[in-house]
Amino acid sequence: MKPIDKDIVGIFDDDRKLVGAIGKLRENNITVKDALTPFPVHDVLKFLGRESRLPYISVLTGLGAATLTFAFLYYTSVLDYPIRYGGKPIFSFPSFVIIIYLVTILLTFLGTTLAFQLRTGLYPGKDPEVLFPGSTDDKFIIIVGEVGGMTEETRALVNRILKESQADEIFEK
Amino acid sequence: MYNTAVRPALIAGNKDYKQVTGEIAGPSERVPAKWWFVAMTISTLALIFGLWAMFVTVVRGLGTWGLNNSVGWGWDIINFVWWIGIGHAGTAFTIFLIVFRAKWAASINRTAEAMTIFAVMNAALFPALHLGRIWLIFFIFPYPNTRGPLWVNFNSPLFDDFLAITTYLLLSLTLWYFGMLPDLATMRDRATSKVKKGVYGFFSMGWVGTVKNWMRYEALAKVLGGLAAPLVVSVHTIVAIDFAVSVIPGWHTTILPPYFFVGAIFSGFAMVLTIMVLIRKAYALTDFITISHLESICKVLIFGSMVIGLAYATEIFIAWYSGVEYEMFVFFRSRITGNFSIAFWIMVVCNAMIPQLLWSKKIRSSLTWLLVISIIINIGMWFERFVIIVSSLAQDYLPSSWVGFTPTIIDVGIYVGTFGIFFCGFLLFIRYIPIIAISEVKGLTRRVPDDELSTNISDKQI
Repeated sequence: MKPIDKDIVGIFDDDRKLVGAIGKLRENNITVKDALTPFPVHDVLKFLGRESRLPYISVLTGLGAATLTFAFLYYTSVLDYPIRYGGKPIFSFPSFVIIIYLVTILLTFLGTTLAFQLRTGLYPGKDPEVLFPGSTDDKFIIIVGEVGGMTEETRALVNRILKESQADEIFEK
Repeated sequence: MYNTAVRPALIAGNKDYKQVTGEIAGPSERVPAKWWFVAMTISTLALIFGLWAMFVTVVRGLGTWGLNNSVGWGWDIINFVWWIGIGHAGTAFTIFLIVFRAKWAASINRTAEAMTIFAVMNAALFPALHLGRIWLIFFIFPYPNTRGPLWVNFNSPLFDDFLAITTYLLLSLTLWYFGMLPDLATMRDRATSKVKKGVYGFFSMGWVGTVKNWMRYEALAKVLGGLAAPLVVSVHTIVAIDFAVSVIPGWHTTILPPYFFVGAIFSGFAMVLTIMVLIRKAYALTDFITISHLESICKVLIFGSMVIGLAYATEIFIAWYSGVEYEMFVFFRSRITGNFSIAFWIMVVCNAMIPQLLWSKKIRSSLTWLLVISIIINIGMWFERFVIIVSSLAQDYLPSSWVGFTPTIIDVGIYVGTFGIFFCGFLLFIRYIPIIAISEVKGLTRRVPDDELSTNISDKQI
């Protein structure tokens, strides 16, 4: 039978029902395309099986920022215009530390925020793809679908699992 | 071996998710009550007074302030330090929530962060106005310029301060705004009018709450919270270094950075307490901001008060122990007795003694007491900055240059004006934005083990 290229959407009123449904679907090797929740449900996040790589970007931007700031301070205070303040050495590293510290924090948080926006594709004014308005209130939504669509058999199975997990509403999209 | 009492539920009332959304978002969707308009009018009047004072300052110069040759830092720097101290509370709550995972902070975090932003904006205003020629403020940016190949002095704590405050303001704004994304999306989906839907929609960045976005969102929160922690410590430390690197008696001590930092958290928490007591009453959020939340703030206040008291005692001891007569003069002849003794003793009583009342559970659970004590603490903290700044400058090494300090109406005007900025901003915030992080609180409402799902949910909150 020819697979139908449509996703099945299930709507739950409790996070634990959603988690139960995802567990059962995965037992049957059915791909859960996405889930929409009003707050981070950690059991659902666990199903993703991997963690965000955002912190790596933070570390890299941080190291880069620290190096660049040090280079900048060295250039301005030692090479470009060496001037003594209060009898201190021209290359006075301890007083550079504060600025390196602050600029590292500044650039790291800007870089991480930017990376977050690029990765999630979120930006002010973006049109939300609201599937079901309750997803930001009290509804937990699951989207089941496979690339190329699912066969009639699988669809029946998915529908059954969602029903068994007490989904309030099931529809196709 | 040990049986510990399970702490009470963080959110009272055994609510479901729909109720949580409704009760928190509700007040931002309705036309506000009469008190809101009254408060807004008063704040706007204060703001107008402040704008007039700032206008006079900019047009006629710093001669309009009460400063003189000896007391070159007066009300402006007192208020700068005071406001930035208040600002520390928001970030402290963020750290509690994200780094220490103290979940009770979820109910207060958003409001405290909003306070931080308005307080830091006010703080930044004072050094800027103190420049005298505010239109030359760009001189502080480090760029190779037409004034010769001269760079700003990177060794100066005043430059560090500029950088610290800018970074702090930007990071606080980012934490606050990104922390709001899911709630703005909730407001968007609940909005009935087209304008509201459009505005909330614009700012919610198209958030719908997909699992991957939640994952990245939490990672972002951890990184930002983790960065805020060292930053918040450094901000008030640098403010303290502004004083400590000088050779003025009473300022030139190494205790200043930790003492300033704890003082900042202390005054910030007091301000949070003042506002929380009022807002929970005005917005009927007693289930979300419970007495137990307020008590937690009180415990931080007791801790802060004791550290502050210890710092006062240490300063006095070191002044004597050092044997430096100028130090001894400032502490014993100028502060404890002498011209500034009234301000000094107000500071000691308000900051180190009165907060000790919070050891009593009865006082901790009485809203009136909390309101009064929290306001007293902020008055005390203002006097602390007054004592530090004015008493050291007014009477230093050279008796021939000893003077007093009297603020002018312009000084007072700018200070009142900053209250206008603070409360106008704050009232607009509570009018249009859910004051408690809805998505955070939802994660706390029902924390029963799965096997009890079908049995008895009530009374079993952990």
